[in-house]
Amino acid sequence: MSSDQDHLQETDTEARFEFKKEENAAVRSGKGLTEEVIRMISEDKDEPDWMLERRLRALEQYHNMPMPSDWPGMPDLSELDVEEIIPYIRPDVDKREGVDDWTELPDEIKDTFDKLGIPEAEKNALSGVGAQYESEVVYQNMQEQWEEKGVIFCNMDEAVREHPELVKEHFMTTCVPPSDNKFAALHGAVWSGGSFVYVPEDVTVEMPVQAYFRMNSEGMGQFEHTLIIAEEGSEVHYIEGCSAPKYGTHNLHSGGVEVFVGEDAHVQYSTVQNWSKNTFNLNTKRAICEENGTMEWVSGSMGSKATMLYPCTILKGRGSTDTHITIAFAGEGQDIDTGAKVYHNAPETSSTIESKSISKDGGRTNYRGLVHIADGAENSSTAVECDALMFDNESTSDTMPYMEIEESKVDVAHEATVGKIGDEDIFYLQSRGLDDDDAKKMIVAGFIEPITEELPIEYAVELNRLIELEMEGSLG
Amino acid sequence: MSAGTQVHANLTEEQVREISGDLNEPDWLTETRLEALEALEELDMPDVIRTPGRDWTNLHDLDFESLVDPLNAAEDKDQVGPDEAEVLAWSDAVAEHEELLKEHFGSIVDPQENYLTALSTALFSTGTVIYVPEGVDAEDVTVRTEQNSRSLFNYTLVVTEESSSVTILERQSTGAEQDEQYYSGVVEVAAGENSYVQYGSLQNLSKEAYNFTVKRGVADTYATVDWIEGNLGTQLTKTEVSTTLSGDSSETQIVGAFYGHNDQHFDLDAKVWHRAEHTTADLVTRGVTDDVARSVYEGVQDVGADAWDTSSYQRENTLMLSDESEADASPKLIINNHDTEASHSATVGQIDAEDLFYMTSRGVDPRAARNMLVEGFFVPVLEEVDVDELRDDLEELIGARLRQRD
Repeated sequence: MSSDQDHLQETDTEARFEFKKEENAAVRSGKGLTEEVIRMISEDKDEPDWMLERRLRALEQYHNMPMPSDWPGMPDLSELDVEEIIPYIRPDVDKREGVDDWTELPDEIKDTFDKLGIPEAEKNALSGVGAQYESEVVYQNMQEQWEEKGVIFCNMDEAVREHPELVKEHFMTTCVPPSDNKFAALHGAVWSGGSFVYVPEDVTVEMPVQAYFRMNSEGMGQFEHTLIIAEEGSEVHYIEGCSAPKYGTHNLHSGGVEVFVGEDAHVQYSTVQNWSKNTFNLNTKRAICEENGTMEWVSGSMGSKATMLYPCTILKGRGSTDTHITIAFAGEGQDIDTGAKVYHNAPETSSTIESKSISKDGGRTNYRGLVHIADGAENSSTAVECDALMFDNESTSDTMPYMEIEESKVDVAHEATVGKIGDEDIFYLQSRGLDDDDAKKMIVAGFIEPITEELPIEYAVELNRLIELEMEGSLG
Repeated sequence: MSAGTQVHANLTEEQVREISGDLNEPDWLTETRLEALEALEELDMPDVIRTPGRDWTNLHDLDFESLVDPLNAAEDKDQVGPDEAEVLAWSDAVAEHEELLKEHFGSIVDPQENYLTALSTALFSTGTVIYVPEGVDAEDVTVRTEQNSRSLFNYTLVVTEESSSVTILERQSTGAEQDEQYYSGVVEVAAGENSYVQYGSLQNLSKEAYNFTVKRGVADTYATVDWIEGNLGTQLTKTEVSTTLSGDSSETQIVGAFYGHNDQHFDLDAKVWHRAEHTTADLVTRGVTDDVARSVYEGVQDVGADAWDTSSYQRENTLMLSDESEADASPKLIINNHDTEASHSATVGQIDAEDLFYMTSRGVDPRAARNMLVEGFFVPVLEEVDVDELRDDLEELIGARLRQRD
């Protein structure tokens, strides 16, 4: 990425992320959610029966569950008509499961990822890359040195066939069962694509692996599933990025992420979410941490029309640790409702949640978080810190934390502040020769720095650029 | 869950008319009561927080059918105050101040806000009206209510005219104990321009009692409404203490102290709505949970789009004295104006081991050390209490409860 900064300098969001390509599908499902559609997806993937059965069971659960409606201050989902969403589009590529050479991809797909800077990033900063276009992974590659150590990084559809025992045991069973919520059930029925990551005992994958998810077609839904299994003493950093062109109708993204953090293992999961502003982003992400394991969630939510995302960690093993770092940025017409969920189910567990949100031009951010400390989780501690910055009076910034403490030998602290960009800070910077725009950008960059410093430099730069892009319009 | 199932088969229009008639109420009041009665069928229980797999408070299991005994209310009551202010029993207020009641009754707490406010409106048989004329400073207004019946529905209205002030202490306790009792209170405070109200409350009902109370104030321009809320009694309490800052430069402070032991359950809400410019709110609650007691706290700071230059602060701290107790907390910020400085914090923990070690190393008996630390924990809250009687009683009750432990 560093060798090709030019494309990043472009300040036009549409040119960088929201460009459209002709749809060129090999297979395209009908709209809506019927058994027929589910069977067709499963058949097109040539799936084993057990997976089809799981899909059908999830479909039934989906139909039996009501839409969430009683959450205080939840985003408006009334415009989302799941029956109008096309759940499955397989792009027309020669090789299923993804090629390992970008040049083998059709031009329009290759061009898409080139523009997004993925091949460039792969060269410089990543151990492996998966790229999903519509419902299928079209590119998948990992450096040989990791393969030799037994690391698996493949697309989820392939994992179902090649690693059935691991998938059978872990796929939407104990971590995110379809019954968890309506959109998890939806996901369980129509999921397609995504990544499977397996890191064997004591292997440290030194550079991050990345998956990039691109929706190109109007009115489609993307439902990739990510399953990460980090065995005892292993370490991996997974990064996902996503974007889509903007359309007049709604797109739906409802991903599922399951992470199994083994004893003494360490997993970092970073997301830079930049869906177009017609996308409903309703995800379920969860990690289960064994003894002394560490889970780190880093999330930047910039895009989408409405986001409801609360990455969850279940601290199951003694001494396990969770860290949540989240940035939400809501501009005009956006409702970013995000936060964290942590269950302390064992002694000596600890969690830290750091949330930063920025709202402007009528956007709304909400931190919604739950920390539960179960009876018996002695000597556990949690610290939650939420800071919100508001640009103008059309915007809204809410904070809704929930703390449930069943154990007395604990240390629980929650803090939140809300404020506006300080006139004095701007004045100070202006007096040093910066103009108003640059002063505001600098203040915002400083505000989110605790988060960007957790990301590899390439992504920190990317996140800063994204936020600068978001600020361009209103400040000009 | 619909509340329809809760409606009493044994609750009738005739009973409501009888209560209203005994108090010589005008027709419009009787009508308001009857409308509330009729609305019961449609109304839900007050909101409680629910998270996946957990209801923070369950009001639906309360058997109102057997708890509510509308025509046999009995109490001992003291209503005293200085001569400058009027402190009236409800029936006297009805006779002397009908216009005042017409203006304010039900204007701050909607009688049909939920099932329990409607029940209270339909059935209240006792109450107090405190009226402070313009420019008057009234200290030491005291309202004591001792419940002697199965159920008691109590209503309080405070009206302060321009540039007046009043300090009120309200206490609820139980006289004749029964195996189950229900106390319901609605308090409305209308603070006029540049007036000051401090409303202190000490709830020490019997351990068998259920308690539902809403206290809500509206502060006009430059007015201040301060609440002090002490909760010690009952087996289940659901309360809301709240202020709407509707006048420019108005202020509010909500100070809470609670101590739950045995199997007590406290669901305490503190809420403020900033609805004008230059308003300030400060919410401070401290509490202890012991044995298998459970506390639920919800704090809301809601800043409206027109509330420019708002300052709003909230702190909540819970100390857990036993391993079996539970403490839930949800401090919320709803901010619709960016010209706001707002913060909140909440902590849950136990007595600091180092503090305890320090004191025992100085020769203080561990039990005494623990009690001193708990008493010290309440100091920041007690310091906010202006009324000596309230502060002393709170301290004493906390001390007594601590000494009861082994």
